Amino acid sequence: MTKTYIHGVGMTKFGNHSDRTLKSLLLDASRQALEAAGRPKVDAVFVGNFLAGSMSNQEILGAIVANDLGLGYIPTAKVEGACASGGIALRQGILGIMSGEYDTVLVAGVEKMKHANTPDVTQAINAAMDTESNEKHAGLTFPGFFGVLAHRYFHETGATKEHLAMVALKNRENALNNPLAQFQKATSIEEIMNARLITEPLGLFDCSPMTDGAAAVVLSRKPSAIHVRASALVSGPTQMQDAAELLSIPAIGESGRRAYEKAGLGPEDIDVIEIHDCFSMTEIIAIEELGFFPRLEGWKAVEAGHTKPGGKKPVNTSGGLLSRGHPIGATGLSQIYQLVHQLNGTAPNQVKGARIALAQNLGGTGSYSAVHILERV
Amino acid sequence: MKVYSCCGHDTVVKRIYCPSCGTPDLQELEVSDHGTIYSFTKIHVPPVEFAEIAPYNVVLVQLIDTTAKVTGRLMGEVSIGDSVELDRVEAGAYIYKKV
Repeated sequence: MTKTYIHGVGMTKFGNHSDRTLKSLLLDASRQALEAAGRPKVDAVFVGNFLAGSMSNQEILGAIVANDLGLGYIPTAKVEGACASGGIALRQGILGIMSGEYDTVLVAGVEKMKHANTPDVTQAINAAMDTESNEKHAGLTFPGFFGVLAHRYFHETGATKEHLAMVALKNRENALNNPLAQFQKATSIEEIMNARLITEPLGLFDCSPMTDGAAAVVLSRKPSAIHVRASALVSGPTQMQDAAELLSIPAIGESGRRAYEKAGLGPEDIDVIEIHDCFSMTEIIAIEELGFFPRLEGWKAVEAGHTKPGGKKPVNTSGGLLSRGHPIGATGLSQIYQLVHQLNGTAPNQVKGARIALAQNLGGTGSYSAVHILERV
Repeated sequence: MKVYSCCGHDTVVKRIYCPSCGTPDLQELEVSDHGTIYSFTKIHVPPVEFAEIAPYNVVLVQLIDTTAKVTGRLMGEVSIGDSVELDRVEAGAYIYKKV
Protein backbone atom coordinates (compact mmCIF):
# COMPACT_ATOMS: atom_id res chain seq x y z
CA MET A 1 0.00 0.00 0.00
CA THR A 2 1.61 3.25 -1.05
CA LYS A 3 -1.07 5.60 0.35
CA THR A 4 -0.44 7.60 -2.81
CA TYR A 5 -3.42 8.64 -4.90
CA ILE A 6 -3.94 9.78 -8.47
CA HIS A 7 -5.68 13.15 -8.75
CA GLY A 8 -5.46 13.88 -12.44
CA VAL A 9 -4.20 12.48 -15.74
CA GLY A 10 -3.44 14.13 -19.08
CA MET A 11 -2.41 12.90 -22.50
CA THR A 12 -1.88 14.33 -25.97
CA LYS A 13 -3.03 12.56 -29.07
CA PHE A 14 -0.33 10.01 -30.01
CA GLY A 15 0.94 10.06 -33.58
CA ASN A 16 2.72 12.49 -35.84
CA HIS A 17 3.07 16.00 -34.42
CA SER A 18 5.35 17.46 -37.07
CA ASP A 19 4.01 20.95 -36.30
CA ARG A 20 4.72 20.77 -32.56
CA THR A 21 7.83 20.70 -30.41
CA LEU A 22 8.80 18.21 -27.73
CA LYS A 23 8.31 20.95 -25.15
CA SER A 24 4.81 21.85 -26.30
CA LEU A 25 3.71 18.19 -26.06
CA LEU A 26 5.25 17.85 -22.60
CA LEU A 27 3.60 21.03 -21.32
CA ASP A 28 0.25 20.15 -22.91
CA ALA A 29 -0.05 16.78 -21.11
CA SER A 30 1.27 18.29 -17.85
CA ARG A 31 -1.26 21.13 -17.97
CA GLN A 32 -4.13 18.72 -18.64
CA ALA A 33 -3.15 16.59 -15.63
CA LEU A 34 -2.80 19.63 -13.36
CA GLU A 35 -6.18 21.02 -14.40
CA ALA A 36 -7.84 17.61 -13.95
CA ALA A 37 -6.36 17.60 -10.43
CA GLY A 38 -7.68 21.10 -9.69
CA ARG A 39 -4.34 22.95 -9.98
CA PRO A 40 -2.79 21.75 -6.68
CA LYS A 41 0.48 23.12 -5.32
CA VAL A 42 3.18 20.83 -6.80
CA ASP A 43 6.17 19.91 -4.62
CA ALA A 44 8.28 18.07 -7.23
CA VAL A 45 8.35 17.05 -10.90
CA PHE A 46 9.70 13.88 -12.50
CA VAL A 47 9.88 13.57 -16.29
CA GLY A 48 10.30 10.23 -18.09
CA ASN A 49 12.18 10.56 -21.36
CA PHE A 50 14.70 8.56 -23.38
CA LEU A 51 15.73 10.36 -26.58
CA ALA A 52 15.25 14.11 -26.13
CA GLY A 53 19.00 14.66 -25.82
CA SER A 54 19.99 12.60 -28.86
CA MET A 55 17.02 13.39 -31.15
CA SER A 56 15.85 16.88 -30.12
CA ASN A 57 19.02 18.29 -28.51
CA GLN A 58 16.96 19.05 -25.43
CA GLU A 59 17.60 18.10 -21.83
CA ILE A 60 16.69 19.84 -18.51
CA LEU A 61 13.10 18.66 -19.04
CA GLY A 62 12.26 18.75 -15.32
CA ALA A 63 13.30 22.39 -15.01
CA ILE A 64 11.43 23.30 -18.19
CA VAL A 65 8.18 21.87 -16.83
CA ALA A 66 8.57 23.66 -13.48
CA ASN A 67 9.57 26.95 -15.09
CA ASP A 68 7.08 27.13 -17.94
CA LEU A 69 4.17 26.01 -15.78
CA GLY A 70 5.18 28.49 -13.10
CA LEU A 71 5.53 25.84 -10.40
CA GLY A 72 8.23 27.77 -8.54
CA TYR A 73 11.71 26.75 -7.41
CA ILE A 74 11.02 23.10 -6.67
CA PRO A 75 12.96 19.81 -7.01
CA THR A 76 12.72 18.25 -10.49
CA ALA A 77 14.53 15.51 -12.41
CA LYS A 78 14.47 13.65 -15.68
CA VAL A 79 14.34 9.86 -15.33
CA GLU A 80 15.79 7.54 -17.98
CA GLY A 81 15.14 3.83 -18.24
CA ALA A 82 14.78 3.33 -22.00
CA CYS A 83 11.16 2.39 -22.80
CA ALA A 84 10.40 2.10 -19.06
CA SER A 85 11.35 5.76 -18.43
CA GLY A 86 7.71 6.74 -17.78
CA GLY A 87 7.01 3.90 -15.37
CA ILE A 88 10.23 4.54 -13.48
CA ALA A 89 9.45 8.29 -13.28
CA LEU A 90 6.04 7.40 -11.83
CA ARG A 91 7.70 5.21 -9.23
CA GLN A 92 10.11 8.01 -8.28
CA GLY A 93 7.11 10.26 -7.68
CA ILE A 94 5.39 7.61 -5.56
CA LEU A 95 8.57 7.00 -3.52
CA GLY A 96 8.93 10.75 -3.00
CA ILE A 97 5.46 10.87 -1.45
CA MET A 98 5.96 7.65 0.53
CA SER A 99 9.19 9.05 1.99
CA GLY A 100 7.32 12.03 3.41
CA GLU A 101 9.37 14.52 1.41
CA TYR A 102 6.54 15.61 -0.93
CA ASP A 103 2.76 15.92 -0.66
CA THR A 104 2.01 16.33 -4.38
CA VAL A 105 4.10 15.36 -7.40
CA LEU A 106 3.65 15.91 -11.13
CA VAL A 107 5.00 13.05 -13.28
CA ALA A 108 5.15 13.53 -17.04
CA GLY A 109 6.58 11.56 -19.95
CA VAL A 110 7.35 12.66 -23.48
CA GLU A 111 9.04 11.60 -26.71
CA LYS A 112 9.37 13.08 -30.19
CA MET A 113 10.59 10.64 -32.84
CA LYS A 114 8.68 11.15 -36.08
CA HIS A 115 10.93 13.92 -37.41
CA ALA A 116 13.81 11.44 -37.82
CA ASN A 117 14.22 8.57 -40.30
CA THR A 118 13.90 4.91 -39.27
CA PRO A 119 17.61 3.93 -39.44
CA ASP A 120 18.58 6.91 -37.26
CA VAL A 121 15.86 6.11 -34.72
CA THR A 122 16.86 2.41 -34.76
CA GLN A 123 20.45 3.50 -34.05
CA ALA A 124 19.41 5.89 -31.25
CA ILE A 125 17.21 3.26 -29.61
CA ASN A 126 20.15 0.86 -29.67
CA ALA A 127 21.62 3.00 -26.87
CA ALA A 128 19.39 0.84 -24.67
CA MET A 129 21.60 -2.18 -25.40
CA ASP A 130 24.99 -2.86 -23.83
CA THR A 131 26.87 -1.08 -26.59
CA GLU A 132 30.20 -2.72 -25.69
CA SER A 133 28.76 -6.20 -26.17
CA ASN A 134 29.42 -8.55 -29.07
CA GLU A 135 25.62 -8.64 -29.60
CA LYS A 136 25.52 -5.00 -30.53
CA HIS A 137 28.49 -5.54 -32.86
CA ALA A 138 26.68 -8.50 -34.46
CA GLY A 139 23.92 -6.12 -35.57
CA LEU A 140 21.22 -7.14 -33.09
CA THR A 141 18.34 -4.66 -32.70
CA PHE A 142 15.30 -4.53 -30.40
CA PRO A 143 12.93 -5.99 -32.98
CA GLY A 144 15.75 -8.46 -33.69
CA PHE A 145 15.76 -9.70 -30.09
CA PHE A 146 12.03 -10.33 -30.19
CA GLY A 147 12.39 -12.01 -33.60
CA VAL A 148 14.92 -14.46 -32.12
CA LEU A 149 12.57 -15.02 -29.19
CA ALA A 150 9.56 -15.59 -31.49
CA HIS A 151 11.32 -18.22 -33.61
CA ARG A 152 12.22 -20.17 -30.48
CA TYR A 153 8.70 -19.74 -29.04
CA PHE A 154 7.23 -21.20 -32.25
CA HIS A 155 9.76 -24.05 -32.03
CA GLU A 156 8.80 -24.96 -28.45
CA THR A 157 5.02 -24.43 -28.64
CA GLY A 158 2.26 -24.78 -31.24
CA ALA A 159 2.24 -21.04 -31.83
CA THR A 160 2.65 -19.57 -35.32
CA LYS A 161 2.94 -16.16 -36.92
CA GLU A 162 -0.86 -16.09 -37.00
CA HIS A 163 -0.96 -15.92 -33.17
CA LEU A 164 1.27 -12.85 -33.28
CA ALA A 165 -1.12 -11.40 -35.85
CA MET A 166 -4.06 -12.03 -33.50
CA VAL A 167 -2.34 -9.88 -30.85
CA ALA A 168 -1.72 -7.10 -33.36
CA LEU A 169 -5.31 -7.28 -34.65
CA LYS A 170 -6.83 -7.17 -31.14
CA ASN A 171 -4.80 -4.11 -30.23
CA ARG A 172 -5.69 -2.40 -33.50
CA GLU A 173 -9.39 -3.10 -32.93
CA ASN A 174 -9.07 -1.59 -29.44
CA ALA A 175 -7.33 1.49 -30.85
CA LEU A 176 -10.21 2.10 -33.26
CA ASN A 177 -12.28 3.17 -30.22
CA ASN A 178 -9.51 5.31 -28.66
CA PRO A 179 -9.47 8.84 -30.10
CA LEU A 180 -5.95 9.44 -28.72
CA ALA A 181 -4.46 6.36 -30.43
CA GLN A 182 -1.99 6.66 -33.30
CA PHE A 183 -3.59 4.07 -35.60
CA GLN A 184 -7.30 4.24 -36.29
CA LYS A 185 -7.52 2.41 -39.56
CA ALA A 186 -9.04 -1.08 -39.47
CA THR A 187 -6.90 -4.01 -40.61
CA SER A 188 -7.19 -7.78 -41.02
CA ILE A 189 -5.23 -10.93 -40.19
CA GLU A 190 -4.34 -11.22 -43.90
CA GLU A 191 -2.93 -7.69 -44.10
CA ILE A 192 -0.94 -8.19 -40.90
CA MET A 193 0.43 -11.60 -42.04
CA ASN A 194 1.47 -10.27 -45.46
CA ALA A 195 3.06 -7.03 -44.29
CA ARG A 196 6.71 -6.44 -45.05
CA LEU A 197 9.18 -8.20 -42.77
CA ILE A 198 11.17 -6.22 -40.20
CA THR A 199 13.04 -8.92 -38.26
CA GLU A 200 11.78 -12.39 -39.13
CA PRO A 201 9.29 -13.64 -38.21
CA LEU A 202 8.10 -10.18 -37.13
CA GLY A 203 6.46 -7.99 -39.75
CA LEU A 204 5.48 -4.34 -39.69
CA PHE A 205 2.31 -4.82 -37.60
CA ASP A 206 4.18 -6.89 -35.00
CA CYS A 207 6.34 -3.88 -34.13
CA SER A 208 5.37 -0.76 -32.19
CA PRO A 209 5.71 2.40 -34.28
CA MET A 210 7.68 5.61 -33.94
CA THR A 211 5.39 8.09 -32.19
CA ASP A 212 5.26 11.67 -30.91
CA GLY A 213 3.31 12.25 -27.72
CA ALA A 214 3.18 12.97 -24.02
CA ALA A 215 1.23 11.87 -20.95
CA ALA A 216 1.16 13.04 -17.33
CA VAL A 217 -0.15 12.10 -13.89
CA VAL A 218 -0.64 14.11 -10.68
CA LEU A 219 0.04 12.13 -7.50
CA SER A 220 -0.75 13.17 -3.95
CA ARG A 221 -0.88 11.76 -0.43
CA LYS A 222 -4.36 13.35 -0.19
CA PRO A 223 -6.95 10.62 -0.88
CA SER A 224 -8.81 10.40 -4.17
CA ALA A 225 -10.87 7.67 -5.85
CA ILE A 226 -7.74 6.03 -7.35
CA HIS A 227 -5.16 4.52 -4.98
CA VAL A 228 -1.76 3.25 -6.15
CA ARG A 229 -1.87 -0.07 -4.36
CA ALA A 230 1.66 -1.16 -5.35
CA SER A 231 4.73 0.02 -7.22
CA ALA A 232 7.56 -2.35 -8.18
CA LEU A 233 10.65 -2.06 -10.35
CA VAL A 234 13.46 -4.48 -11.15
CA SER A 235 16.39 -4.74 -13.54
CA GLY A 236 17.07 -7.86 -15.57
CA PRO A 237 19.60 -9.26 -18.06
CA THR A 238 21.00 -6.66 -20.44
CA GLN A 239 22.07 -9.17 -23.08
CA MET A 240 20.16 -11.88 -24.96
CA GLN A 241 23.06 -14.35 -24.73
CA ASP A 242 23.11 -13.97 -20.93
CA ALA A 243 19.48 -14.99 -20.36
CA ALA A 244 19.22 -18.26 -18.45
CA GLU A 245 16.05 -19.03 -20.43
CA LEU A 246 15.34 -17.17 -23.67
CA LEU A 247 11.56 -17.57 -23.40
CA SER A 248 11.44 -15.90 -20.01
CA ILE A 249 11.90 -12.18 -19.36
CA PRO A 250 12.72 -12.36 -15.65
CA ALA A 251 12.40 -8.61 -15.04
CA ILE A 252 8.69 -8.84 -15.97
CA GLY A 253 8.05 -11.86 -13.78
CA GLU A 254 9.96 -10.52 -10.79
CA SER A 255 8.43 -7.01 -10.97
CA GLY A 256 5.00 -8.64 -11.10
CA ARG A 257 5.78 -10.93 -8.18
CA ARG A 258 6.94 -7.99 -6.06
CA ALA A 259 3.91 -5.88 -7.00
CA TYR A 260 1.47 -8.68 -6.13
CA GLU A 261 3.22 -9.20 -2.81
CA LYS A 262 3.11 -5.51 -1.90
CA ALA A 263 -0.54 -5.28 -2.97
CA GLY A 264 -1.57 -8.49 -1.22
CA LEU A 265 -3.19 -9.51 -4.49
CA GLY A 266 -2.60 -12.08 -7.22
CA PRO A 267 -3.11 -12.20 -10.97
CA GLU A 268 -6.62 -13.58 -10.37
CA ASP A 269 -7.63 -10.26 -8.76
CA ILE A 270 -6.75 -8.03 -11.72
CA ASP A 271 -9.70 -6.78 -13.80
CA VAL A 272 -7.94 -4.85 -16.57
CA ILE A 273 -4.35 -4.75 -17.79
CA GLU A 274 -2.06 -2.51 -19.82
CA ILE A 275 1.18 -4.29 -20.68
CA HIS A 276 4.21 -3.37 -22.69
CA ASP A 277 3.50 -4.85 -26.15
CA CYS A 278 6.52 -3.25 -27.83
CA PHE A 279 6.18 -6.28 -30.12
CA SER A 280 3.28 -8.71 -30.50
CA MET A 281 5.57 -11.45 -29.15
CA THR A 282 6.26 -9.42 -26.01
CA GLU A 283 2.56 -9.30 -25.10
CA ILE A 284 2.40 -13.11 -25.12
CA ILE A 285 5.52 -13.46 -22.94
CA ALA A 286 4.27 -10.75 -20.54
CA ILE A 287 0.84 -12.33 -19.94
CA GLU A 288 2.70 -15.52 -19.03
CA GLU A 289 5.32 -13.82 -16.83
CA LEU A 290 2.64 -11.86 -14.94
CA GLY A 291 0.81 -15.10 -14.13
CA PHE A 292 -2.36 -14.46 -16.12
CA PHE A 293 -1.82 -17.60 -18.19
CA PRO A 294 0.53 -20.62 -17.85
CA ARG A 295 4.05 -20.47 -19.22
CA LEU A 296 4.27 -21.27 -22.96
CA GLU A 297 0.46 -21.12 -23.20
CA GLY A 298 -0.15 -17.40 -23.62
CA TRP A 299 -0.73 -17.97 -27.34
CA LYS A 300 -3.67 -20.26 -26.53
CA ALA A 301 -5.27 -17.49 -24.45
CA VAL A 302 -4.86 -15.09 -27.36
CA GLU A 303 -6.42 -17.62 -29.73
CA ALA A 304 -9.36 -18.15 -27.33
CA GLY A 305 -9.98 -14.38 -27.13
CA HIS A 306 -9.31 -14.22 -23.37
CA THR A 307 -7.32 -10.98 -23.73
CA LYS A 308 -10.02 -9.10 -25.67
CA PRO A 309 -12.09 -6.40 -23.92
CA GLY A 310 -14.92 -8.88 -23.17
CA GLY A 311 -12.53 -11.70 -22.24
CA LYS A 312 -11.32 -13.07 -18.90
CA LYS A 313 -8.24 -10.83 -18.78
CA PRO A 314 -8.61 -7.76 -21.01
CA VAL A 315 -5.13 -6.64 -22.13
CA ASN A 316 -4.31 -3.29 -23.72
CA THR A 317 -7.81 -1.87 -24.07
CA SER A 318 -6.11 1.38 -25.17
CA GLY A 319 -4.64 -0.30 -28.25
CA GLY A 320 -1.29 -0.91 -26.55
CA LEU A 321 2.06 0.22 -27.84
CA LEU A 322 1.30 -1.49 -31.15
CA SER A 323 -1.66 0.73 -32.01
CA ARG A 324 -2.02 3.47 -29.36
CA GLY A 325 1.60 4.22 -30.24
CA HIS A 326 4.90 4.25 -28.36
CA PRO A 327 6.37 7.70 -27.64
CA ILE A 328 9.00 6.02 -25.49
CA GLY A 329 9.16 8.20 -22.36
CA ALA A 330 5.38 8.76 -22.37
CA THR A 331 4.32 5.12 -22.73
CA GLY A 332 4.37 4.12 -19.05
CA LEU A 333 2.21 7.12 -18.15
CA SER A 334 -0.21 6.63 -21.04
CA GLN A 335 -0.87 3.16 -19.59
CA ILE A 336 -1.85 4.86 -16.31
CA TYR A 337 -4.03 7.33 -18.26
CA GLN A 338 -6.01 4.44 -19.76
CA LEU A 339 -6.29 2.52 -16.50
CA VAL A 340 -7.48 5.55 -14.51
CA HIS A 341 -10.23 5.98 -17.11
CA GLN A 342 -11.02 2.26 -16.82
CA LEU A 343 -11.37 2.55 -13.04
CA ASN A 344 -13.50 5.69 -13.43
CA GLY A 345 -15.74 3.92 -15.97
CA THR A 346 -14.88 6.38 -18.75
CA ALA A 347 -12.40 4.43 -20.93
CA PRO A 348 -12.53 3.41 -24.56
CA ASN A 349 -13.31 -0.34 -24.54
CA GLN A 350 -14.59 0.02 -20.98
CA VAL A 351 -14.38 -3.14 -18.89
CA LYS A 352 -17.58 -3.23 -16.86
CA GLY A 353 -17.07 -2.76 -13.13
CA ALA A 354 -13.25 -2.67 -13.30
CA ARG A 355 -11.87 -2.12 -9.80
CA ILE A 356 -8.25 -3.37 -9.87
CA ALA A 357 -5.87 -2.56 -12.73
CA LEU A 358 -2.26 -3.46 -13.54
CA ALA A 359 0.28 -1.61 -15.72
CA GLN A 360 3.58 -3.16 -16.81
CA ASN A 361 6.25 -1.06 -18.55
CA LEU A 362 9.39 -2.67 -20.03
CA GLY A 363 12.76 -1.11 -20.83
CA GLY A 364 15.34 -2.55 -23.21
CA THR A 365 15.13 -6.27 -23.93
CA GLY A 366 14.19 -6.90 -20.31
CA SER A 367 16.68 -4.54 -18.68
CA TYR A 368 13.92 -2.87 -16.65
CA SER A 369 10.34 -3.69 -15.79
CA ALA A 370 8.02 -1.49 -13.74
CA VAL A 371 4.64 -2.73 -12.49
CA HIS A 372 1.97 -0.58 -10.88
CA ILE A 373 -1.32 -1.84 -9.44
CA LEU A 374 -4.15 0.69 -9.13
CA GLU A 375 -7.44 0.30 -7.28
CA ARG A 376 -10.69 2.23 -7.17
CA VAL A 377 -11.42 3.07 -3.53
CA MET B 1 35.75 -19.21 -27.14
CA LYS B 2 35.91 -18.26 -23.46
CA VAL B 3 33.05 -18.68 -21.01
CA TYR B 4 32.80 -17.75 -17.34
CA SER B 5 31.41 -20.27 -14.91
CA CYS B 6 30.17 -20.23 -11.33
CA CYS B 7 27.34 -21.85 -9.34
CA GLY B 8 26.34 -24.01 -12.30
CA HIS B 9 25.80 -21.10 -14.68
CA ASP B 10 28.05 -20.56 -17.71
CA THR B 11 27.94 -17.33 -19.71
CA VAL B 12 30.06 -15.48 -22.25
CA VAL B 13 29.39 -12.28 -20.28
CA LYS B 14 32.28 -11.56 -17.93
CA ARG B 15 30.89 -10.36 -14.60
CA ILE B 16 32.80 -8.81 -11.71
CA TYR B 17 30.97 -10.91 -9.12
CA CYS B 18 28.93 -14.11 -9.41
CA PRO B 19 25.24 -13.14 -9.04
CA SER B 20 24.57 -16.31 -7.01
CA CYS B 21 27.45 -16.51 -4.52
CA GLY B 22 29.19 -13.14 -4.89
CA THR B 23 32.68 -14.46 -5.50
CA PRO B 24 34.97 -12.41 -7.74
CA ASP B 25 36.77 -15.61 -8.73
CA LEU B 26 34.66 -16.86 -11.64
CA GLN B 27 36.16 -19.79 -13.44
CA GLU B 28 37.35 -19.00 -16.98
CA LEU B 29 36.88 -21.94 -19.33
CA GLU B 30 38.02 -22.39 -22.92
CA VAL B 31 35.23 -24.12 -24.87
CA SER B 32 34.75 -25.33 -28.42
CA ASP B 33 33.94 -22.88 -31.23
CA HIS B 34 31.21 -25.29 -32.41
CA GLY B 35 27.54 -25.13 -31.55
CA THR B 36 23.99 -25.38 -32.82
CA ILE B 37 21.49 -22.68 -33.74
CA TYR B 38 19.24 -22.14 -30.70
CA SER B 39 17.28 -19.44 -32.50
CA PHE B 40 17.75 -16.65 -35.05
CA THR B 41 16.20 -13.72 -36.84
CA LYS B 42 16.78 -12.26 -40.28
CA ILE B 43 17.13 -8.50 -39.91
CA HIS B 44 15.58 -6.59 -42.80
CA VAL B 45 15.52 -3.19 -41.07
CA PRO B 46 19.01 -2.59 -39.66
CA PRO B 47 20.57 0.30 -37.74
CA VAL B 48 22.49 2.74 -39.97
CA GLU B 49 25.87 1.11 -39.34
CA PHE B 50 24.67 -2.27 -40.70
CA ALA B 51 22.63 -0.97 -43.63
CA GLU B 52 25.08 -2.23 -46.25
CA ILE B 53 24.96 -5.88 -45.23
CA ALA B 54 21.18 -6.20 -44.66
CA PRO B 55 19.38 -8.53 -44.72
CA TYR B 56 21.55 -10.55 -42.35
CA ASN B 57 20.88 -13.19 -39.69
CA VAL B 58 21.56 -12.62 -36.04
CA VAL B 59 21.89 -16.05 -34.45
CA LEU B 60 21.86 -17.29 -30.87
CA VAL B 61 24.24 -20.25 -30.77
CA GLN B 62 24.08 -22.96 -28.11
CA LEU B 63 27.74 -23.80 -27.57
CA ILE B 64 28.73 -27.43 -27.03
CA ASP B 65 30.12 -28.73 -23.72
CA THR B 66 28.71 -25.73 -21.82
CA THR B 67 25.32 -24.24 -20.97
CA ALA B 68 26.47 -20.89 -22.39
CA LYS B 69 24.99 -19.35 -25.51
CA VAL B 70 26.55 -16.68 -27.70
CA THR B 71 25.07 -14.15 -30.10
CA GLY B 72 26.63 -13.89 -33.53
CA ARG B 73 25.96 -13.17 -37.19
CA LEU B 74 25.57 -15.64 -40.05
CA MET B 75 24.90 -14.95 -43.73
CA GLY B 76 22.63 -17.20 -45.84
CA GLU B 77 19.77 -19.49 -44.91
CA VAL B 78 19.61 -20.90 -41.39
CA SER B 79 17.27 -22.98 -39.21
CA ILE B 80 17.02 -23.90 -35.53
CA GLY B 81 19.23 -26.94 -34.86
CA ASP B 82 21.76 -26.27 -37.64
CA SER B 83 25.38 -27.06 -36.72
CA VAL B 84 27.66 -24.03 -36.88
CA GLU B 85 31.21 -23.04 -36.05
CA LEU B 86 32.92 -19.75 -35.38
CA ASP B 87 34.47 -18.50 -38.62
CA ARG B 88 36.06 -15.27 -37.41
CA VAL B 89 35.72 -12.29 -35.12
CA GLU B 90 35.06 -9.13 -37.10
CA ALA B 91 34.71 -5.64 -35.58
CA GLY B 92 33.81 -7.17 -32.23
CA ALA B 93 31.19 -9.54 -33.71
CA TYR B 94 31.30 -13.33 -33.75
CA ILE B 95 30.73 -14.45 -37.34
CA TYR B 96 29.47 -18.02 -37.63
CA LYS B 97 29.29 -20.38 -40.58
CA LYS B 98 27.28 -23.54 -41.10
CA VAL B 99 29.15 -26.87 -41.02
